[in-house]
Amino acid sequence: MSSLLEVQGISVTFDGFRAINNLSFEIGLPELRAIIGPNGAGKTTFMDIVTGKTRPDEGTVKWGDLSHSLLSKSEAQIAQIGIGRKFQRPTVFEDQSVWDNLRVALKKPRGPMAAIFDRVTDNDRARIAEIADEIGLTERLEDPASILSHGQKQWLEIGMLLAQDPKLLLVDEPAAGMTTEEREHTTALLKRLAQSHAVVVVEHDMEFVRRLDCRVTVLHEGSVLAEGSLDHVMADERVIEVYLGR
Amino acid sequence: MSIFTRNRSVPIFIGILALFALLVTVMSEAYGTGAISVSFTKVLGMTLCLCLAALAMDLVWGYCGILSLGHFAFFGLGGYGIGMWLMTARTEAVVRANLANQVIPPTEAEVSEATALQIFSVVGGEDWPWMWAASGSLFLSLLLIVVVPGLLALVFGWLAFRSRVTGVYLSILTQAMTLALSLYLFQNDTGLRGNNGLSGLQNIPGAESIGQDRISIWFFWASALALGLTYIGAAWLVSGKFGNIVRGIRDDEQRVRFLGYKVEAYKLFVFTLTGVLCGVAGALYYPQAGIINPDEIAPIASIYLAVWVAIGGRGRLYGAVIGAAVVSLLSTYFTGGRAPDVNLGFMTIEWVDWWPVLLGLGFVLVTLFAPKGLGGLVDYIVRKDRT
Repeated sequence: MSSLLEVQGISVTFDGFRAINNLSFEIGLPELRAIIGPNGAGKTTFMDIVTGKTRPDEGTVKWGDLSHSLLSKSEAQIAQIGIGRKFQRPTVFEDQSVWDNLRVALKKPRGPMAAIFDRVTDNDRARIAEIADEIGLTERLEDPASILSHGQKQWLEIGMLLAQDPKLLLVDEPAAGMTTEEREHTTALLKRLAQSHAVVVVEHDMEFVRRLDCRVTVLHEGSVLAEGSLDHVMADERVIEVYLGR
Repeated sequence: MSIFTRNRSVPIFIGILALFALLVTVMSEAYGTGAISVSFTKVLGMTLCLCLAALAMDLVWGYCGILSLGHFAFFGLGGYGIGMWLMTARTEAVVRANLANQVIPPTEAEVSEATALQIFSVVGGEDWPWMWAASGSLFLSLLLIVVVPGLLALVFGWLAFRSRVTGVYLSILTQAMTLALSLYLFQNDTGLRGNNGLSGLQNIPGAESIGQDRISIWFFWASALALGLTYIGAAWLVSGKFGNIVRGIRDDEQRVRFLGYKVEAYKLFVFTLTGVLCGVAGALYYPQAGIINPDEIAPIASIYLAVWVAIGGRGRLYGAVIGAAVVSLLSTYFTGGRAPDVNLGFMTIEWVDWWPVLLGLGFVLVTLFAPKGLGGLVDYIVRKDRT
């Protein structure tokens, strides 16, 4: 297993508040990883840094076999090299159809000219149908995304992530607003993806994390508190202290 | 073409536009009954140009979410571009006619000198300013109409979008741009005749023997053709994946970035394209208006452009056209002295003064009762159709 993303000693401060404090993190390909931690632990800021939205004050973020630095790249460039992100609050293009949402996400050239002259190929159609089937929205392809339920929007965003075909998937609270059945489906999907991708899941729900059955990283106050299997980290004195308080 | 079936508004719009053009032609003085006067033909042709500018405004604001309050600057630049050629050619013809009676025929240099004096003496100049270098050639002037607004939009947009200036800050910047350009042109020594502007633009060189009755209807046709072609092109542009991305940028810019699209490149493309479209619209408008001066590109003009699109309804193309046509024709009616004054006893409503109030009231009413604009009313008709 080679390292896909390597984050070394990053720190970032917002108005004197240290959101990330000398954090290091590594994930290989393929791998499934869960990140847990109390509110304000820096989970979202960590994702912001990896995807280029926030620049760290110090530290390095390296990508792939050649260890390219991601720090000088724009959000669009980082997305193009293969990092996809699903947001905590489902963000889909509300006034566009499910089909259009998936089409825009589909992995194809990203320039304006390519978009103007883009034609839907049989290949594209097959891929969209396949993804729609996976996320259970085959019947809803023509509907505008705005009339989907919260859970379905979550699915659509996961579908857009699939359509991008990234190497690394950053998934923020995928199970929020889903029924028990949908959660099981999500777990199965994430596990299957992790056989050929690197998948990072941020989640509050311990039951969900347990079902993922993977390595867990615990964040607290912007740094890694513990890492290992869920049982291992939950037995850690400091983790218990952070989660239950003393 | 598939765009006629993909976007149902295209065949309807083109049909109505063609019917309207035909109707105006058979009622025109040159080719029909004469029920529509030459000056009103010009008003209608100019209105079509304003509709074209509004269409561009809808692309940049309604679809891409960039509330530019400076697009009339590009409109004005298009007008100045064609105006320089029209004025040069016309003045030169007059000068040649005056000098023709001399015993010794004038040299080309003398004609050029006399023409420059004729044009620029009003601002105390007698030499050709550098920016008139292309004014002797129709081809170069037509090129300028596209290149100058396009280049200004490209440079301005590149600077603004690269720094991620968005929302109200961008609107303010665009206002500053058009104000700066307007103030610059007001200077007498800028080479564009200061506040006198360019005049006599209704005289088309080489067409002296053709009356304004025919020229007015020709420009009306050209304006209708430009509007029709742009409508088809715009509908095609926004019907595909490009339209999906651009509307995505309007609704959630950051999301589009995380999908791997360079948002700045898309914005710059739309901003520049619509700048060029406004330039073309201006180049068709001012030969019908006959005169252009720096007041035309004052900040308020660009705000009106946004008001038309808001009243007509954003993000549906025909909405912008409806808004521009309705509001600018009403404006002509109320400010042109056609509307009778209303005597209320204690005061008299003179529409020239009260038109802005009426417009403001209309804007508020549309915002409150038809938030999707006048074009949004079409939705009700279409929905009735289906049930």
